[in-house]
Amino acid sequence: MRVLAIGASNIRRMLRERSNIFFVFIFPIAIILLIGAQFGGGVDPAVGMYAADSGRIAESVTEELESIDGIDVIPYENEDALLSAVERGNVQAGIFLPAGMDETAASGEVVKMGFVSRPDGFGAQLRSIVGAAVGEVMMPVGAAQFATAETGASFTQAFDTAAGIAEGSSGLGVEVSAVGEALFPDTLGRFDLGAAQQLVLFVFLTALAGSAALILTRQLGISKRMLSTPTSLRTIVVGESVGRWGTAMVQGIYIMALTFLIFRVNWGDPIGAFLILVTFSAVGAGAGILLGASFRNDQQASGVGVMLSIGLAALGGSMLPIELFGPTMQKVAHLTPHAWALDAFAELVRRGGTTVDILPELGVLTAYATVLLILAAWRLRVAITRP
Amino acid sequence: MPASTLIARKDLKLRLRDRSAFIFGVVAPLVLAFIFNLVFGGASDPATGLGLEYGMVDLDQSEISQAFTGVLEGAEADGILTLQTYDEEAMGAIAVEDGEIDAFYLIDVGFGRDIQTGGSPTIQVIGDIDAPTSTQIGASIAEQYASGVDSAQLAIAATATLTSTPITPEFIGSLSLDPRSAAFSYQLEDFSAATRQLDVTTYFAAGMAIFFLFFTVQFGVLGLLEEERDGTLVRLMAAPIGRLSVVGGKAILAFALGVISMSTLVVATSLPFLMGADWGAPIGVGGLIIAGVLSAVGIMGLVASAARTPEGAGNLGAIIAVTLGMLGGVFFPLGQGDDLLSKLTFLTPHAWFMRGLGELADGGSWTAAVPSMGALLLFAGVTGSVAWVLLRRRLDR
Repeated sequence: MRVLAIGASNIRRMLRERSNIFFVFIFPIAIILLIGAQFGGGVDPAVGMYAADSGRIAESVTEELESIDGIDVIPYENEDALLSAVERGNVQAGIFLPAGMDETAASGEVVKMGFVSRPDGFGAQLRSIVGAAVGEVMMPVGAAQFATAETGASFTQAFDTAAGIAEGSSGLGVEVSAVGEALFPDTLGRFDLGAAQQLVLFVFLTALAGSAALILTRQLGISKRMLSTPTSLRTIVVGESVGRWGTAMVQGIYIMALTFLIFRVNWGDPIGAFLILVTFSAVGAGAGILLGASFRNDQQASGVGVMLSIGLAALGGSMLPIELFGPTMQKVAHLTPHAWALDAFAELVRRGGTTVDILPELGVLTAYATVLLILAAWRLRVAITRP
Repeated sequence: MPASTLIARKDLKLRLRDRSAFIFGVVAPLVLAFIFNLVFGGASDPATGLGLEYGMVDLDQSEISQAFTGVLEGAEADGILTLQTYDEEAMGAIAVEDGEIDAFYLIDVGFGRDIQTGGSPTIQVIGDIDAPTSTQIGASIAEQYASGVDSAQLAIAATATLTSTPITPEFIGSLSLDPRSAAFSYQLEDFSAATRQLDVTTYFAAGMAIFFLFFTVQFGVLGLLEEERDGTLVRLMAAPIGRLSVVGGKAILAFALGVISMSTLVVATSLPFLMGADWGAPIGVGGLIIAGVLSAVGIMGLVASAARTPEGAGNLGAIIAVTLGMLGGVFFPLGQGDDLLSKLTFLTPHAWFMRGLGELADGGSWTAAVPSMGALLLFAGVTGSVAWVLLRRRLDR
């Protein structure tokens, strides 16, 4: 009972602090929203476009480019804006359509368009996508110019003839198909990947931030006063652990529930997802108490806590999916509990697994939690009873 | 020595002795920049581009199919892609699944014949489902080749139709121009743009530096509220020291802490064996750091003036610093094209600091960073003035 009382008072103290409300409840959701908006559904390279012309060719080129999967076409108001955007990396490349392209084509001259890219990006590759689209549009133009030169017919007449033939013939086709099992299937929602990543990041961050609260508990003498009551050291240590664990759980359940309700995030099998949260929160609680017991200064502990929780999250795949890491970095990643939790979520969400499928990951997380909690309990005993 | 400097010097000694400022100002940004560089460096370094790797399965072995292979080999020679040849489709598919190549071209038997007899020849592009962009690029190379072939055929067909002549080898022979010239009705002229964007390593070094700067500066600014709480502020006010000196002393301290932290980080991240970040022209970097630190002092001063207790200011400051950092794109660049996010981001000093450094990238002159310095100074001026007005009123009480 006392264990629960200590735990509950920990959670209450966390909820009373206004800045905690922000970091625990508002900020994670804002980040999931931001990341979903920015990266959700994959990032296609963007090609900027400035069309100084609104003629037939310009219109066709625009339509053709916009119909391509795999790139985003972003219109710009003028040439300078387009150039700046390319230089600053807002878009990866740009195409510039000069005025009077239809007239140039009709006079039999070469129609010049501009392509701008940076030497360090993948401009050369995007150029081939843009080039193919332009080539497609310009085919009847070239044929009409040729026929005009050969027969002396008017350009308009030759163009209509060529366009008519092009419409009816299939020509040399290019068929695209894909093989393999998608790493991130299309059924994966815009926020699904980011939500699991941010969940583990923030649950761990909050748990480590709890170290400062633990130090304050000692600084304010609460721990000593508890000891002077008929409360055993074991009860205090377990109670603190329950408090840290409960805080992490409150946040985790909140993030899961809210993202499910608002963003329709798929968390997979609910029992499996809950168990990941339970074990991962215990890992966080252990780490938080260990940190809190190892430092005497709450500012230092929170500095180290922020560094550890962001650093481990980055290493563990909370910022970039582990699947995109190199082989060595994948091994390094699996030294963090984050990677195991994210693997388990991937199994549930992307491959439709159940609790049975994630038993190995749950086992590793439980082992982490056990070791950390034992270490933490030992250090905390020392810290509380230190004269 | 003026009172403000004296106050700043005393506080600086105190802060340098406390390891907290050192953790926030140097250790945390350095460690995180290092980790981010490790994690993201290999994955998204723009210098390595997409690393297009394709395969070719040519079952036709006709003159026309070999001409297409020739085009790809030309692109390989230009360093745009790499090309492997496979004897059969299954081997290409295995290579894709194993991640050796992004996609492969499959040219079936009868391709060359179909082109000449007006059949419906196709080049198949079979790509890795997880490499849509690479597959798309591979397809567009084939499409470009196809449109060259098609242009010539269309030119012949259009001429034949206009002159009501059947298409025969004799007719093609009678044409005065080469039909292949029809593919050259347009030209995509290349303009190269300068790079005004940071490389991955420098990006994270700078991002973490400016992110933690706000926490470091806060240590200086909070000193004022701590003195108020501890009652030493009243004693300071009783001494023949102006209010400006008291507030100024704390501001100087915050500024000094910020500059020390930032300079340490610039030097440490530039070390070739550590990260080898390339910050750019020293005068430009120096100017951006000074302007950036001033903006942080202003904003954190405003936070201190609005909060009642040091703890409250610490918490509010953390919220402001984290929100501005996130929105300022210190963890990942925000927005694409000219969408709302890419405009919102410039409401933060962080984004201006990063943009200023971006202007210096690739050997830009320090003058290119002047607009960013101006924006940062504007942040500093506005927030600093409001903070001063509020703090002065508070000290009067």
